[in-house]
Amino acid sequence: MSTAALVAALRERGLIGADAPPAPDAADRPWFVSLLMGIAGWVAGLFVLVFLGIMLDLNGSTSMLAIGVALLGVAWVLYLVGRGAVFVDQLALALSIAGQLAITAFLFKELDAALPVTVAILGMQLLLFVVMPDRTARTLAAFFANIAWVIVVRLWLRPNEGDGAFFSPNGVVQMPLFGAWTPLIEWLVTWIPPIAAIAWLRSTETTWMARRTAEFARPALTGLLLGLALGGMAAEPLSMLVFGTNELGLSFNAWALFPLLSIALAMLAAVNAFALRSAGLLGFAIVAALVHLARFYYLYGTSLTAKALIMLGAGAVLLGAGRLLARRTVASP
Amino acid sequence: MATRKNATTRYHGYRAGASVGAYTARVQTRLKRAELDQLARHYALDSQASATLLDLADARPGRTESLTFLARCFRYAGVLSLGSSLVFFVAANWSRIAVFGRFALLEILLIGFVAIALFKPPPRFVGRAALLLAFITTGALLALFGQTYQTGADVYELFLGWALLGLPLAVAAQWGPASAAWICVLDLALCLFCGWNPHGGFLWVLFDGERFTTTHAVFAAAVLNLGLWIACERLQWRAVPDWVRRLVLFFALCFVSWLGFISVFKSGHWYADDEDWLAIVGSLAAIAGVIFVAIAQRRDVYPLALAAGALVFLATCWIARWMSDTHEAVFFVMALWLITASTLCGRGLMQLARAWRGAAA
Repeated sequence: MSTAALVAALRERGLIGADAPPAPDAADRPWFVSLLMGIAGWVAGLFVLVFLGIMLDLNGSTSMLAIGVALLGVAWVLYLVGRGAVFVDQLALALSIAGQLAITAFLFKELDAALPVTVAILGMQLLLFVVMPDRTARTLAAFFANIAWVIVVRLWLRPNEGDGAFFSPNGVVQMPLFGAWTPLIEWLVTWIPPIAAIAWLRSTETTWMARRTAEFARPALTGLLLGLALGGMAAEPLSMLVFGTNELGLSFNAWALFPLLSIALAMLAAVNAFALRSAGLLGFAIVAALVHLARFYYLYGTSLTAKALIMLGAGAVLLGAGRLLARRTVASP
Repeated sequence: MATRKNATTRYHGYRAGASVGAYTARVQTRLKRAELDQLARHYALDSQASATLLDLADARPGRTESLTFLARCFRYAGVLSLGSSLVFFVAANWSRIAVFGRFALLEILLIGFVAIALFKPPPRFVGRAALLLAFITTGALLALFGQTYQTGADVYELFLGWALLGLPLAVAAQWGPASAAWICVLDLALCLFCGWNPHGGFLWVLFDGERFTTTHAVFAAAVLNLGLWIACERLQWRAVPDWVRRLVLFFALCFVSWLGFISVFKSGHWYADDEDWLAIVGSLAAIAGVIFVAIAQRRDVYPLALAAGALVFLATCWIARWMSDTHEAVFFVMALWLITASTLCGRGLMQLARAWRGAAA
């Protein structure tokens, strides 16, 4: 239905006045145009940072911080004054990316542990989400904040892994904070808040979509769904990639199931994307699920035979559930 | 028929009925969430009115549609899980089963899947799923053959053989996921062939290794994918839905960008000092062809977005080459170029999208 037809239908129902002004003509970008512009903005941001780094001979961390803050400030001004002007928005995106990268480099230089760095990045993204007056900037901030949150919880519950010191100096495996329960606790602590936020935003959508809140709620919803689809990757122990289970002396451990949980999260994101009628988000979630499946093959600590059996069981359960649901759909009026 | 057409419109969000010559319209006519937000805010709608707006715009799927989607998700995921189980099992190279047993197991599975497909043929889900699994089993069988007998074949040959042997299964399935799987296998084979440039294997029976360079291989892969895209667009095969056609075009433009990249850095012909004109002209002609076809169709800006992306990428590479001696200035110019070019592309694409959507609505 076109905008004009929709407005006419609303008018027929008396929801808007007969003398109401015509609808604004502002079509939203298709996902692939947003992606094209986003990638260009990102790469341009990298080039801006390299250019400034060489020209100003940025070596010290303080100068990195100063440049980062300055770039973010300029980006904020550009977003504010150039609303709707595509060139200005693209310029602001590039400067914002360059600024964020400069501040991230400063954080890595100044803070020697992974957890404080990630907490600081999370704080920066939350601040950008609140401050930046642009939907794309807020969506990116929500997405990166989600990823940073995943890593913060991971480093909090498994402090030794983040620094690459999975083994103590005498070669003993350093157990995570809650021992064998850590995977489950970590998964719940990581994912319940964003899933609850997504559910709440969706259930209250009609209350905020006509208000200024939508300027925050819509990017938050999109960013959280992107994070839900892909963020599982950041929750899992990279050390397994290096060591595998043979070195740990285990034939199977609970980490092996993590990519499957990531696939479940990606599917949840896909279901939400479908409910929001977002083809771009749906495609992203499906690709993310396939990436998680590939990681399951390559990364994790159990034998391929065990993985084959797990997938066989999962396939049977999924097909059964699908068949039951399809029957129920046909049976329902 | 009308009901079916309405159902297609409701489910996919585009008007399948409006045809232009041999083509059907694919312009997205359903309003997106951001546009609905703007409308709701413009008219200061309350919660109730916003809900009505979403319903009128068909922006919220009903219970039946949601359940259908969920059931479909579960079924697709189930089939993929079974397929990956098969691949994992072959990769595990389980020594407790003898070589004969491993082959027998896969061959029985292959025959079983084909039998199921014959018993419950497509478009029934069981038949389609069985044929997709048969396609995956074909690849697993080839991998097992290579794993067991150490044939010395290049990896690209495995994937190319898989694509060729699995083609009848993909065609018989008449199903988007099966077509997508086939095109992914084919393009992976082409990618490996072009990337590693192995002077061996059965493709080199056709092409002489001395005169045949990476440029030729990448050019051929780009032309093959573009030809497939145009054929699929023209013939409107049911087995190749919109999203698979977009996937084919994406692969095509990846090869075109690769070709253009070769043209910038002349890596396609190691011994020549002059420009690689085949790569330069070939990549530009391919991009021009995609733009021409998309504008002639007037129904989807996606090909134009891909073509624009490829052009911007190649121009950036040319800037890097021409200004390689200018130190920091090259980064400034490339950043400025990217911002300007992406702005112009974004504006142009949105203008076309609005115009084509207005005509389709």
